[in-house]
Amino acid sequence: MHLLFESIGFGLVTASVIALAAVGLSLQVSVTNYINFAYGDFMTFGAYVAYSVGAAGVNFFLAAAVGGAVTGLLGLAANLAVFRSFIERKARLITLLVVTLGVSLILQNAIVVIWGTGAYRYPIRMGNALHLGPFILTPGAIILILLAALLMFGLHLFLQYTRFGKAFRAVSNNNDLALASGIDVNRVVNWTWVVSGFFAGIAGVGLVLETNTLRPVVGFNELFLVFAAIIMGGIGRPYGAMLGALAIGLATEVSGMFVDSAYKSAIAFGILVAVLVLRPQGIFASRGRTD
Amino acid sequence: MFFFFLDLLALGCINAILVLGLNLEYGYAGILNFTYYTFAAIGAYVTAVTTMGKPPPYLGNESYILQWTLPWPVGLLLGGVAAMILGLIMVFVAVRRLRSDYLAIVSISVGLIVWEIVTNDVHLFNGSNGVFGVPPITGSLPISEAGYTAVIFAVSFACLAFFWWVARRIFRSPFGRVLRAVREDEILAASYGKSVFGAQLWIVLIGSFMAGVAGGLLIDYVSAFNPAGFLPVETFVLLAALIIGGSGNFNGSIIGAFLIIELLLEVSRFVPDFGRPDLVGAVRAILIGVVLIVVLRYRPGGLMPESGIRLYRKKKGEAKQPEPAKEAP
Repeated sequence: MHLLFESIGFGLVTASVIALAAVGLSLQVSVTNYINFAYGDFMTFGAYVAYSVGAAGVNFFLAAAVGGAVTGLLGLAANLAVFRSFIERKARLITLLVVTLGVSLILQNAIVVIWGTGAYRYPIRMGNALHLGPFILTPGAIILILLAALLMFGLHLFLQYTRFGKAFRAVSNNNDLALASGIDVNRVVNWTWVVSGFFAGIAGVGLVLETNTLRPVVGFNELFLVFAAIIMGGIGRPYGAMLGALAIGLATEVSGMFVDSAYKSAIAFGILVAVLVLRPQGIFASRGRTD
Repeated sequence: MFFFFLDLLALGCINAILVLGLNLEYGYAGILNFTYYTFAAIGAYVTAVTTMGKPPPYLGNESYILQWTLPWPVGLLLGGVAAMILGLIMVFVAVRRLRSDYLAIVSISVGLIVWEIVTNDVHLFNGSNGVFGVPPITGSLPISEAGYTAVIFAVSFACLAFFWWVARRIFRSPFGRVLRAVREDEILAASYGKSVFGAQLWIVLIGSFMAGVAGGLLIDYVSAFNPAGFLPVETFVLLAALIIGGSGNFNGSIIGAFLIIELLLEVSRFVPDFGRPDLVGAVRAILIGVVLIVVLRYRPGGLMPESGIRLYRKKKGEAKQPEPAKEAP
């Protein structure tokens, strides 16, 4: 029983990292209608930027925020330099997906050029494990979970209660209608890339804190857990993505009690398969709305 | 120098088979398989374990399944069949929604999982060290290195010629027209009574088989294979070769394979590196990515655009060249 609660604790940490990433990706997909396969590398990039800023002696929280912000700018740059011209030419979905994978390849290798292939670690420590009732968590892990929850709650407030958030939801619901009602769709799309990049960057930092290694492929390898979460939540539905992430995070960690933890991602894949076969519109998707 | 060219030709033929197979999936049917090279890897492993028998003791500790000693052509076929089984699994996982983004996600996931399992499970294909010491297909015949390369070149060329013929037949057959219709508009194709799922399943099976055979040829040539050999970037190189050569065009695939893979990858190995060993590969990969995006943006048809009868034209300003699509009679 102890082991179960312990696993649930770890699962919550994993889930909060996946949730941050999934919310950012899901928001972008809901607005732009195509999946960004470079998203995992956005996460890696944010983690590396935070590492470099932190190595310069800056407070770690500030460094993480800088990592997120710079990744947000990277998202904007990728949209302006690459994706937008394809959208303007009404490229087919399949072409766009190949283009995002191309950006992924470029980014991943640019990271190798800048930072090399060696593994890094963040200079901070997560602290000694605390016993909180049945759970065992480090203070760092608790801060990570709380911060993730806070960021997602902030995004929720932004989407629900600001004028700009309303524009987001309008564009994601119906692009043409939003355009017809005078919403500057291009501006919304640009901001989507900034927000999505920001979440990617922060999630990348969280991922490195959780797994304790920073390598050029960490984000890319995490990508399909994020996909699993957003498919579970229904593609393009940020709120569903949070729940999907919770399910995936808990499932991967709790399954570690029964099978070799080397097959954690195989478990997540099994869940993805089950969801795709049984309920492709997502577990938490409401009726009457596909996609 | 002569050996160098022979080597380029042999590897070029193997790569051309891979690009041709990817062309069937991506170019003909619009199926985005982001882990095509994993199918080649499975083919390579299965070919190895079904032909090399027990591991020779002088090569250290090697553990792998089967350890059969079948003749090499059977090994190649089994490699192809194993890749087909993986293709079957992949298609059935994405069965409900074979939309390109779902299938791309499933394919990337399949690639990562296969990679993880092969790397972690030492009993399967010797883990991260990979299988090595695969015997040459000429058996114990005394043959020089250049001679063996020539033999591999001949076999690969024969396979390539056969697959090229198959690809050409498919392109011109009613099945090829169904595939193009499915690629352009699934709902339209279905409304004409064509089985969208059936068409996609069959083309993935054929494409996977070609990947498996090419992987088998590769391991018969270089005699070793390990998980570092099928990272996601490998598929991307094939995809770049296909799109630059001309997606949908069976001749363009071969041009792309020789031009891109040979020029960019093989020949540039002789360029001096800049002190850091990881830099050359990274710069090369960035270059491929940039070239691919530029080609997709400014010349989406590639060097040899798909040709065919144009029954309808897409709206002006489409990213893709006007697509030929023809309903089956």
